[in-house]
Formats: sequence, structure tokens, C-alpha cells
Amino acid sequence: MSVRPPTLREKRRYLLARIDPAGTMPDAKDLYYAVYEAVVSLFGDMAAAAMQPSVLAVEEGYVILRCRRGAEREFAIALSTLSACRDIPVALRVRAVSGTIESLRERIATFAPQESPVVGQDSIPADEGTYGTPQYQFGSTPVEVVLLHGHKVDVLEKGFKNTRRLFLTTEDLEIIHATTISDGL
Amino acid sequence: MKITDACVYPFPAGDSSVSRLALEARSCGYDSIVAVDTPAAETCGIVVITGIFLSGIPAKDVQNRAKKSRGTGAVVSVQMGDNGFNRAVAGTTGVHILRGIGAADKRAFDHVAARIAADNTTALDIDLSPLIFGRGHLRQKTIHRYLDLMVLHRRFEFPLTLSSSARSVLGLRAVREVAGLCSLFGMDETDVEAALAGVGRVTDNGEAAVKVIQ
Repeated sequence: MSVRPPTLREKRRYLLARIDPAGTMPDAKDLYYAVYEAVVSLFGDMAAAAMQPSVLAVEEGYVILRCRRGAEREFAIALSTLSACRDIPVALRVRAVSGTIESLRERIATFAPQESPVVGQDSIPADEGTYGTPQYQFGSTPVEVVLLHGHKVDVLEKGFKNTRRLFLTTEDLEIIHATTISDGL
Repeated sequence: MKITDACVYPFPAGDSSVSRLALEARSCGYDSIVAVDTPAAETCGIVVITGIFLSGIPAKDVQNRAKKSRGTGAVVSVQMGDNGFNRAVAGTTGVHILRGIGAADKRAFDHVAARIAADNTTALDIDLSPLIFGRGHLRQKTIHRYLDLMVLHRRFEFPLTLSSSARSVLGLRAVREVAGLCSLFGMDETDVEAALAGVGRVTDNGEAAVKVIQ
């Protein structure tokens, strides 16, 4: 089948959405199924067919999505009802809508330096006089830092059973002085 | 005019600290949040208002709790029950918000309760979490209740509030997304703006329009 001339092609719109929580990189195919399910469950098969939602690429914590021109508002509403991808909690925050993928890639380049997360806990400034890798706690719960993103810190509760991810800020964390010698020694 | 999320659940009810929720709420376009069982504060440029959520207690106890919390600056929300309970609570001074209309019986909030709520400036809360996380029958029922609520709101003009009921930062939605979700049940941008400012309206001390000076 020959390619249609540009005037006969369907007009499309491309959406750029940030994937939350930062550091989550779902598979594009899994994300497509999640997006399609969100669209179909909210607007039904007819609207989904007319909207033609699609996931084009997942890169640098962002996803580029596609829909038919004129349906981008409904598509964004459906995206706001997406809460999980393969049972992993995610949220898509629409950041930009454009007529070309190229301009969205340029947007990613401008967003990425401001919003790129740092994986691991080495980047949190430790207090002076703290030796070794600092240990952190939130309240009375020891936690392990998995991601630092400006003031935002994502941690995992330490333990055998309760290892849920907590979303905190740097002010919420306290450093445990693990190297402090107790009075008994 | 404050743009307020009328209910969030920080740690330990949820998985996010108050300051993180405030940080995310700021990036979502809010300038205040009502956090349940959390002391009032101002963090990350966001005003955190104490929220008291009363659920599963009789109307008499609701009145007592509302009386105790008067003057504390807390926002008192009550989970809706049957029609008689809702009428009693809507007319209780000190109760700011009625919540849970999406899960309530279809006769739980009628025109009489709507008139009482309007006279007493008690807001009805539109909880967006069933729209975001619900699927199928649950979401259909919720949208139907909200459509019905909008009919009564246009007739009696009682205040509305909007809440995400977020237990995580992932449950928060930006103001633009909230406007999109609210368009599903016929709220336009003016209605959404008024509803986002609804907490400010119901917590306003409401000085009399006419002051008699002797």
C-alpha cells in the first residue's frame, strides 16, 4: 500500500508526560496496555477507536504519547486516571502537547537537567564528623534512600515485611550515627 | 482566593510526609492543602490546614466534636450517612464539609438537605479518587452521584470543595487535570475555580453583611 500524500494523512498530536515516581522506567508495551485500558474504561471502545492512543517512546523518565488531533484533551483526562502499570503504582503528568515528536524531544532536553533524579544515598550531604555510609531514619523507622531529587527523597523502609516506598523530603530524614561508640564499651 | 485540596492523608495513613505532599501540591498548582490529623503549618510555600474527619459516629457526637473544634482553625469533615443524618449534620454549626456522596445512597442527599447546607454554608465534597482509581460500576455510580449533585448545586448554590483524598504523592492531580476530570460531570472552569476555593469559603468566619452600631 502506497503512502498517502500529506494532505490526506490523519493529523496527530503528541503528548509529553513525566513518569512518577521518578526513577521508574516501565516497559513501553506495558505502559501502552495501561494507557489503553485507562482510555477504554473511561470513554469506551468507540472513543478509544476515534482517539487512537499510542505510546511511542519511554525515555529519560518521560513518555511520548500519540493521539488524533482534537482528542488530546480527552486523552489527557484519561491519562490522569492511570494509576498503575503492571501493578506498579505510577502517575503520568502531562507536561506538553505538540504537533511533532521532535519538539517534545527538545522539551525533554530542557526539562531533564532540572528534574533528573539521583539514584542512591551518597548524594545526600552527611553531617560533619559522620564516618562511613550514613544511616537514615524517618521517625523511629530506619530507612534506605533509593532516590534523591532536589528536596525530594524516596526511601524504602528497612525490614523483612514492611518495605514499602515512602515519599519524603530531606527535612524529614534524620541521620543515625552508626559509628557512635556506646557507653558500655 | 486560595486553591485548596480539601483532603489528603499524610504519613502514617499514607506513604508520603506532609512536607512532600506540600511540595508536590505546590508543583500541581495548589496553595493550600487540608491534611487529616496533622498540625497546621506552612511548609514549602503551602499552607497546611488541620483536617478532622468524622466517620461512623451519631449526629449527637458530631455536634459535640464540632463544638470542641470550634476556633481551632481546623476543617471538620463528616462522612455522609442516611438522609436524616445528613440533614442533621448539614445544619450543625462547626461542620464544614460533608464527604462521601459518591458512595452514599441516592436518596441520602436530597433537596431539603441541599437547602440546609446552603443556608448553613456547609460544603459538599467532590472526591476525585473514585474517578482516578475506580473502574467500572464504582466509577459509573460516582459520576452519576456527582451529576445529581451538580443539579442540586445549581439550584441551591451550596458550596463545593474538591479533594484528591491522596494517600500518596502519586494520588495528587494538577489543577488542570482536576478541571478535566470535573468536566466529566458537567463542571466548567468557573465551577472548578469556585470549588477549589470552597474550603476558604466555608472556613471564613462569615462576618455579618450588616453590622448594627449603637
